[in-house]
Amino acid sequence: MKTLKQLFLILISVLVFAGIAASAPRLTIAESSFNFGFVPQHSKISHDFWLLSTGDDELKILKVVPG
Amino acid sequence: MLPVGDSAKLEIIFDTKTYKSKVSKKPKIQTNEGPPDKRVTITATITPRPDSTYPIRIVPYKVDLSQFSDKVIDKAEFVITNVSEEPLDISMIAFAQDYFSVELPDKVKPGETVSGIIKINDDYLAKSFNKSFTIELSDPQSSRFTVPIKRTIRTPGNQDRVKIIKKGK
Repeated sequence: MKTLKQLFLILISVLVFAGIAASAPRLTIAESSFNFGFVPQHSKISHDFWLLSTGDDELKILKVVPG
Repeated sequence: MLPVGDSAKLEIIFDTKTYKSKVSKKPKIQTNEGPPDKRVTITATITPRPDSTYPIRIVPYKVDLSQFSDKVIDKAEFVITNVSEEPLDISMIAFAQDYFSVELPDKVKPGETVSGIIKINDDYLAKSFNKSFTIELSDPQSSRFTVPIKRTIRTPGNQDRVKIIKKGK
């Protein structure tokens, strides 16, 4: 009976740990590149990219670094 | 913070300055997902002579909808001339739809000039912004053209407000 209880506890722990390990944030970018084509000099142009949170945990956008 | 299943818009603004020819930029997005960081890529062919492009010419090649008086400036016309020998279909690829609408002809015959209209949405009439729209042609290269749209608001009412804020400081 005691062994069965221990086995049950181990099984629960494994399942909880597996759940924690599987929950991870994930960023998916719907369209990750954009071609503006011909653009005049000395102009400011812009484009919107859509960022999707597709993981199992909340996604934090920490920083966008110009490249 | 973006809950699971949610989405957010990331606006990338590119100043073409005095760049020439093809330019590519790859801003990096750092998140709690960890490395490697994801990137978005923008490419543009910066032209120092926008008045002599091929297969179309757009006039004006930059649209300025700035307003420096109480007279409301909320729309502008532009024309597209087909300088090639083939008929071209024109399609809208991207534009800042929150800020303005674009009436765009869908075809232009060889040698023909067609016109379009940009109209600022009411919600953004009181705001300054730098946006753009991008069109694509049906030529073999699927050429794209981006027209910058600039609006600066400096009405007498706004200037008074600026003065009051400065006095308050």
